Amino acid sequence: MPPATSPIVARLKGVAKSYSGRSVLKGFDFALEAGSVTALLGPNGAGKSTVAGLITGRLAADAGAVTLFDRDPRDADARARMGVMLQAAGLPEALTVAEAVALHAGYFKRRLKTKDVLEQAGLTALAKRRCDKLSGGEQRRVHFALAIAGCPDFLVLDEPTTGFDPEARRAMWRLVREKADAGVAVLLATHHMDEADALADRIVVIADGEIIADGPPAAIKAKVAGSTIRIRTALSPAHLQMLPGAAKVDQRGADTAILTTNARATLEALFSADPALTDFEVASASLEDALADIIANTVKEAA
Amino acid sequence: MSALVSAAPGVYGREAGAEVIKSARMPQFIIPTIILPPAFYALFALGMGNGDVEMATHTLATFGVFAVMGPALFGFGANVAGERENGQLELKRLSPMPAGAHIVAKLVATIVFSVIAFAIIYGLAIFAGVDLSPSQWAILTSVHVIAVFPFALIGLGFGYRLGQKGAIAIANIVFLAMAVMGGLWMPVAVLPEVIQTIAWALPSYHLGELALMAAGQSDAANFWLHAGPLALITLAAAIFAWTGQGRHAA
Repeated sequence: MPPATSPIVARLKGVAKSYSGRSVLKGFDFALEAGSVTALLGPNGAGKSTVAGLITGRLAADAGAVTLFDRDPRDADARARMGVMLQAAGLPEALTVAEAVALHAGYFKRRLKTKDVLEQAGLTALAKRRCDKLSGGEQRRVHFALAIAGCPDFLVLDEPTTGFDPEARRAMWRLVREKADAGVAVLLATHHMDEADALADRIVVIADGEIIADGPPAAIKAKVAGSTIRIRTALSPAHLQMLPGAAKVDQRGADTAILTTNARATLEALFSADPALTDFEVASASLEDALADIIANTVKEAA
Repeated sequence: MSALVSAAPGVYGREAGAEVIKSARMPQFIIPTIILPPAFYALFALGMGNGDVEMATHTLATFGVFAVMGPALFGFGANVAGERENGQLELKRLSPMPAGAHIVAKLVATIVFSVIAFAIIYGLAIFAGVDLSPSQWAILTSVHVIAVFPFALIGLGFGYRLGQKGAIAIANIVFLAMAVMGGLWMPVAVLPEVIQTIAWALPSYHLGELALMAAGQSDAANFWLHAGPLALITLAAAIFAWTGQGRHAA
């Protein structure tokens, strides 16, 4: 009888990890679910790569429990269900794309046909090209092909689209989305907020070894309750700061951005203070704004 | 045992095949490791030996060891360093590939290329009139195949510790130093006394002596005098390689 499939793919429970005396994680709890894309965000050194390292079995926890498919992540049976795309990764230079994919797929008992992997990763035309004759973006697609070759239930993607042009990025996002929709759990580490916003179902923000925000992108953005008003005005930043609802004023040359908790009230006050004002744009706060705000607030509270 | 891990024998075979293909397609590996030793043998031992069969037999034994050093030191030293540096090794470790498959595959490939290199030397030697009995050929071949292991372990130890550039530099130095000081190009007896002493610590010296015994060029009564130190050096090389695992180059 096949084991009942748990929707929890990976779990960290009360995990502690420190490097040469410096504590990175302490009593850390986290769970990853099947069929969704989870992005880990946060400043460098906050613990993102430690969390990813623990789940993939590259690192061992000092205390607490880490499980992948209810097993130790270093267990070969757990690894057999995981596909990894590392940030810094070379390829076997002298092998062709098809040879490299076939070799890697061969490590897995349950695997896709090489032809299908190449097709899914958009590499069919490059099958016979040697790996050392590929562009950066093409190499990255081969890394993705290696990651999916073993029919993984869990995909770990570390900066998957670095060096991509916008079209190639969207193509990669579609590939990842297809996998997630097919039930694969995806853990995404990225520095690109737009990538996390476009791709993730769930965003986990880590700072100083703690989860300070966890939810869908829309909910994270809503945390900075508000919107950004972009204007060109002669009013001074000090004046703008006094407007009702204004939380933050950011002036760059002639352009001013006002982060506001009440766009309507701020705009009404703006119009009466600056009758010359005609050009304005209101947008909901970006994920980047939200993240900066959340992290700044956490640091303030801690201080 | 485990339901999802691929059947091991197939993985070992495919990994070894890939290693052979990778090296065969790289002229920067093939030329110095496979072409150079037979070329040196033809030039120095045969060309300058002027038909001296005794000398051709002597140098056949030692150049055979020389031919093995290249694939072993460069295949393990430089290639492992490169694959570790650029994350290829990490990706394999995160896959369900059996832990030993990568090293076993590299050993197989090293033996394949070593055999090709010293088989060319054997051919040249026969052409030059070297006449060994079948059992002498068999023992000589065994010594030359065994020579793969200490050099491969030394290369692996450096490959785990150094970056690719550093490993290539060290492999070159070790390659030349072991060849010259181990008496593979000219007998140790004609070298300065200091080097004769250093030679005792070199696997190339003992392997050269064992190969000479196999080819009937040296007294086989001294077998343990060289097999003993060789075993100790190989053990030390194994410890050097083992303790280098999981290290990261700065």
